[in-house]
Amino acid sequence: MSVLIGRKIRKVYGKKSTAQEVLKGIDIEVQKGEFVGIMGPSGSGKTTLLNVLCSIDHPTEGIVEINGQNLRGMKEKALANFRREQLGFIFQDYNLLDTLTVKENILLPLSISKQPKAVVESRLKELVGILGISDILNKYPNEISGGQKQRTSAARALIANPTLVFADEPTGALDSKSANALLTNLETINQQKNATIMMVTHDPVAASFCSRVLFLKDGAIYTELYKGDKTRQQLFQQILNTQSVLGGDGYDA
Amino acid sequence: MTLSKLVFRSMRKNVKQYYLYFFALIFSVTLCFSFTTLQYNPSVVEALKKSGTATAGFEAASYILYFIVTFFVLYASQLFMKRRSKEIGLFQLIGMTKGLVFRLIALENIILFSLAVMIGMVIGYFSSRFFAMVLLKILEIDMIVQLKFSLDAFQQSALLFSVLLIIILLQMLWMIRRLSLLSLFTAAKKADERIKGFSIFQMVMGLIGVALIIYGYYQSTMLFNVEKASVYNNLFLHMLVILGSTILGTFLFFRYSVSLIMNIVRASKSGHLRITDVLAVTPIMHKMKSNSKSLTLITTLTGLAVGIMSLAYIAYYSSGSNARFASPYDYILLNDQGIEFLDALYQEGIDFKKDTYQISNVKLNLKDLISENLQDSPLLFNGEVDTAVVSLSDFHQIEPNFSLKEGEALITSYANVLSEVLPLQKDVDVNVKSGETEIPLHITDIRKDYVLSQYASDASPILVVPDNLFKEIEEQNKAQVNIHSQIGINLKDKDDMEKAEVLYKKFSEDRKVMLDNEYSIIINSFEEERKENVASLGITIFVTAFLGLAFLITTGSILYFKQMAEADDEKSSYVILRKIGYSTSHIMKGIYAKQAFNFGVPLVIGLSHSYFAVKSGWWLFGTELVAPLVITICLYVAMYMVFAILSIQYYKRVVRESL
Repeated sequence: MSVLIGRKIRKVYGKKSTAQEVLKGIDIEVQKGEFVGIMGPSGSGKTTLLNVLCSIDHPTEGIVEINGQNLRGMKEKALANFRREQLGFIFQDYNLLDTLTVKENILLPLSISKQPKAVVESRLKELVGILGISDILNKYPNEISGGQKQRTSAARALIANPTLVFADEPTGALDSKSANALLTNLETINQQKNATIMMVTHDPVAASFCSRVLFLKDGAIYTELYKGDKTRQQLFQQILNTQSVLGGDGYDA
Repeated sequence: MTLSKLVFRSMRKNVKQYYLYFFALIFSVTLCFSFTTLQYNPSVVEALKKSGTATAGFEAASYILYFIVTFFVLYASQLFMKRRSKEIGLFQLIGMTKGLVFRLIALENIILFSLAVMIGMVIGYFSSRFFAMVLLKILEIDMIVQLKFSLDAFQQSALLFSVLLIIILLQMLWMIRRLSLLSLFTAAKKADERIKGFSIFQMVMGLIGVALIIYGYYQSTMLFNVEKASVYNNLFLHMLVILGSTILGTFLFFRYSVSLIMNIVRASKSGHLRITDVLAVTPIMHKMKSNSKSLTLITTLTGLAVGIMSLAYIAYYSSGSNARFASPYDYILLNDQGIEFLDALYQEGIDFKKDTYQISNVKLNLKDLISENLQDSPLLFNGEVDTAVVSLSDFHQIEPNFSLKEGEALITSYANVLSEVLPLQKDVDVNVKSGETEIPLHITDIRKDYVLSQYASDASPILVVPDNLFKEIEEQNKAQVNIHSQIGINLKDKDDMEKAEVLYKKFSEDRKVMLDNEYSIIINSFEEERKENVASLGITIFVTAFLGLAFLITTGSILYFKQMAEADDEKSSYVILRKIGYSTSHIMKGIYAKQAFNFGVPLVIGLSHSYFAVKSGWWLFGTELVAPLVITICLYVAMYMVFAILSIQYYKRVVRESL
């Protein structure tokens, strides 16, 4: 079952004379339970693609469908509701509110929903158990480490049981140990809870946790790798090989 | 690129963000210049001449105005300087020396400042005519206001703003000198509190804050409480205690109580916050440390402004009823002098009602009528005073349904300040002296009705006795009485007032009454008394309203500037919220709650401060409390709302732009 379908997505920035085509007709389909990685050199359009797919940005042309619902033509309010109910987000710079505690930050997406407290509490308990942040729930973001912040952010993305989780360079600001811990967590959640995750990264290690990796070059899909029965090490090697074929020019990883 | 080019470019770039600072400057100049121009306007000067203290009042007000403006400009410039710290840091980062950066900023400020002063003076010049017209209208003077440029006013304002400019430049120099590159980048973030758990200390301080405010309020109701006569000995000290405890209480309230209350609310939700909690409660808690001082200041200024304006308005509003004290009737004739005035009225076809009184007097010791615990009051004059006496049947002319038995009497015309400070008791037996005879009387009632001209009653209470007793007294005192009769005339149609006034003026000789064959007094008509009151109070109300307006706009602008800065600071939060699925209207709901707090709480507490302040001593100023107080508060709130709406508009823009 396809959770996300993108057809002929084009995105053009700027006016006619200075127009720059960032996405050049991308077709993408994501199945339920997949862990998809998007890789590519700087300026290849990774983040733009993610923003368009997750309804934060509008495509110039093309169709985005999530869970069978076409995003085109939806009003600001409807889109916002859709994001809150169906999608989860993890950002590179955590995007936690400094004025809220870890627990309050995690429960943020539910602050206008009418779910019973007990249900929310049990879900929270399960999530923070998997992510290993149960003992910092009453701390403020400025009192915890970067890795803990990102795991908080992951918990927030998952609390509302979203159809699809978007992660934009989630390990970008983390040291390798925290990054590995986070990715292992995401992998666990992907497998145990059958959560669908889509992650933009330029880190081959991070991408090697995925079940499928898309490579973007100059706004178009260049190739894709499936993990299949391969081990993580093998997938990692394949990713490196693909990267070298793609050309190191402008590669910032 | 030359320095001047750079200055102009950065100014042009900044215009959008700093136009408010620019408006604040223009506004200050306008306010100052129009007031000083007004002060030197020939029509106004002429109007002021009639009242001796007015010129002094105007001068005092102009100094207060200078003070407000100075404070406001310095505050605004500091606030906007803080917001530019990053830019200054950037200039230094690309290799400019601190001296060069200072010259750049100084040049920019001098240009901005001069421009604002010029624009402000032009607006001020024209608006001063409007203010002059308002003033003359309040004073009920019909006069055409000439618009005249005053060199004195120009020099005065120019001097003030030059000094201000120099202070601002020094302030900037100091700021640029003092701060390191690193701290410049973070200057905007200073004074943000890291929220930790709440300690017992904070809880205690929060409770003390509330207690102090309540204590201040309680003391204010006791300030003029007659039961505690001892307070009169140190009234000033008592006032200082009230002021101090209220202001300190307000500060502690904002600094600790607010966080305390919100913390309780927040803790009760155990992490399950609503969107309004996220956008209102937590940021307010977070910023309380840096905001508590300015919120206290704003609350105090609001209380002060509304309090002073209400009192001035009460006085102005009561100018009519105060005039009734001097002249209970529209026209009064004493000792039958000028009886011809009645004929003149008759001939002009003016309808009127005439009351006649026979007046005598006795000696009465007021101390006999005052309760035990007030006997030591320093305000009480211990001794017998001449008290005017009228007969019951004469009194029936204004109060038809009143009866007195043999040996009974009532006291009337006991109102205003005296009756508040030294209330008289009824159902008391007293002895009055008529000549050499002592007459025992039972006082059945104390009334407020004014009956006699203040000259006939000596501005003292009046004794009303049964007719036969009055005859007795009158016989015994014939020789000592200066004023033995009064004719009170009330017009039936107040529209005839103008004609009657003209007639009354013609009887100036008859209005002169000799007292003890030594000195004479001239009685005024009610309208003349009222006009006199209006003339002296009109200037007070005008000046206080002007200052109140200055206070209002200053506090409103400070709040607005602060909210602008906060909105910009919190933009990143709005970005996050919108990304994870909150729409603009969801976020605005939280913003409304936050604005309701930021504008509403200082306003409500300020108004409550002013209410207690006004309530404690309003009767010193006039006779009507509710109407003037309500009108003042409504006007203030309405204008204050403008700033709240502006601030909400700004937030709306920021939220809309943050995705």
